[in-house]
Amino acid sequence: MPSPSWRHRAFAQWRPALGLLPLGVVIIVLFGGALLLALLQSLGFAPWLGVNSFPDLTYFTTLWSGASFWWSLWFTLYYSLAATAIALVLAILLALCLVQAFPGRAVFGSLSRLPLVVPYAVGIALAVIMMGNGGVLSRLAATLGWIDDPAQFPRLLNTHAGLGVIAVYVWKQLPFMALSIHAVLISAGREQAEAAAVLGATRHQIFRAITWPQIVPGIVSSTLICFAFNMGAFEAPFILGGGFPDTLPVLAWRYFTDADYALQLQGMAVVVSIGLVAGLLIALYLALYRGYEHRLGRV
Amino acid sequence: MARSKSLPTAARFYLVLMGLFLVGPFVPLVIQSFAFQWDWPNLLPSEWWFTARDRARLPLGWDYVLSPYSRLGEAVVNTVVIGGATTLICLAICLSAARVLAREQFAGKRAVEFYLSLPLIVPEAAVGLALSVIFVRVGLAGSYAGIIIAHLIPTIPYMVRLLTAVYQGLDPGFEEQARVLGANRLQALRLVTMPMLLPGILAGCLFTFLVSTNLFLLTFLLGQGKIITVPTLLFAKIAGGSLDASAAGIALVATLPGIALLLVSERLLDGRIGMVAR
Repeated sequence: MPSPSWRHRAFAQWRPALGLLPLGVVIIVLFGGALLLALLQSLGFAPWLGVNSFPDLTYFTTLWSGASFWWSLWFTLYYSLAATAIALVLAILLALCLVQAFPGRAVFGSLSRLPLVVPYAVGIALAVIMMGNGGVLSRLAATLGWIDDPAQFPRLLNTHAGLGVIAVYVWKQLPFMALSIHAVLISAGREQAEAAAVLGATRHQIFRAITWPQIVPGIVSSTLICFAFNMGAFEAPFILGGGFPDTLPVLAWRYFTDADYALQLQGMAVVVSIGLVAGLLIALYLALYRGYEHRLGRV
Repeated sequence: MARSKSLPTAARFYLVLMGLFLVGPFVPLVIQSFAFQWDWPNLLPSEWWFTARDRARLPLGWDYVLSPYSRLGEAVVNTVVIGGATTLICLAICLSAARVLAREQFAGKRAVEFYLSLPLIVPEAAVGLALSVIFVRVGLAGSYAGIIIAHLIPTIPYMVRLLTAVYQGLDPGFEEQARVLGANRLQALRLVTMPMLLPGILAGCLFTFLVSTNLFLLTFLLGQGKIITVPTLLFAKIAGGSLDASAAGIALVATLPGIALLLVSERLLDGRIGMVAR
């Protein structure tokens, strides 16, 4: 190799940037552009609709001063957090089961991955067929003699308790979380746990002192992705939710499809609110996680 | 702790429960797709669609699903075309970036990595609604190009991570040896690097294709009802909150790509989906 001239050195410095360029342009223009537009429009910038009162906070103040917005926010948060927490507990147990060797593990492993690879709408269809008042659970209850009329079966779908919405989220995301935790467990190996067992640790102690710290990074990233997805999810709360007050993404969509074009700005304020709340919670979560890693001495 | 061949009873019970929860509901879905009359509280239909076929004027059950009336054929073609184009474009723009991220150290690398994973944690509704406003302005709304471009956003983070891991697993020494032994840049790429990267690239493409074919909200918002895919068709069918035989049939068709992927790529994807989540 010839000794690099300054030109070569400058090129070497910029080469990483060059490789990242196509991707950077797409992400910055598309994704960054979309976010910037959402922010501008929620602040009153929409000349194409004949509205330009930028900067204008009234869309936020109008939205945030109505009680129904806070109900919408509560339902959105409640469905997202409840589903993430339930899926996490079930996924940890499933991942721990799947690291054990047992006959049929490979078949079970790939079968249990099925929800991961189908659209959410399939999960919604399954929720309707299982949990509806004429659904399979209600038929089973009748077969067992608990009820003798579909109306006696407790309403699970289309209520603000959101059991259908939560069930779909859990069903779809449990395998994703289990898989990421499982992958961490596999790559961490079992040596430490076995050493601890030889030294007389109980199963409870092994989990708390060894397994848990190993899987925490996998837990944090997968719960983060699922929580953020749930905050912006549309189809499950739209079909299985309890109606007014809707979750925030459904509310935003209703504003957008309203015959009154000016309500689009209100819709953008909803969208930005989703982003703000999700962003704040994610930042808080990551800060807590960083504190935990710090206490463990891993960072 | 020795590994035993049989699990504790509690674990076995839990696995059965999980199996019932995750896969069990597909059984009534299959039954429903063949049902003509399935009254409460029967656990099986009292009449199947193929026995009622002669009496009905309109196609029933799978007859309807597979007939042009259901528009399923159109939706499948759209889904595959959009998924394929998204995958190819995504691969083209992610390959060089993944190489850089895997091999180079530079200032701001952590920031770039964080920014590239942002689409995973920014709510889809936010991106979709904002993009729909932009695309209406620039004339991309309701077009294939618009949907494909939008599908890049949620697929890029997965593709970049998978490809970065692939490059990290590839020792650059092989490429250097080839160059030392007289191969030019193109030959080294074609004869050495590519064959070693191929399984990883294939896995990335399959996963990206799957993510794209399962996307609903972006297609729904940007397709403007003009372009239907399998998820949007299924959504329209079940939006009323009930499920007839033809909706069950479409739901099963929507499940097929996933099943095919699980069968074909069990080896390829093994451990990789988990890796994506880290």
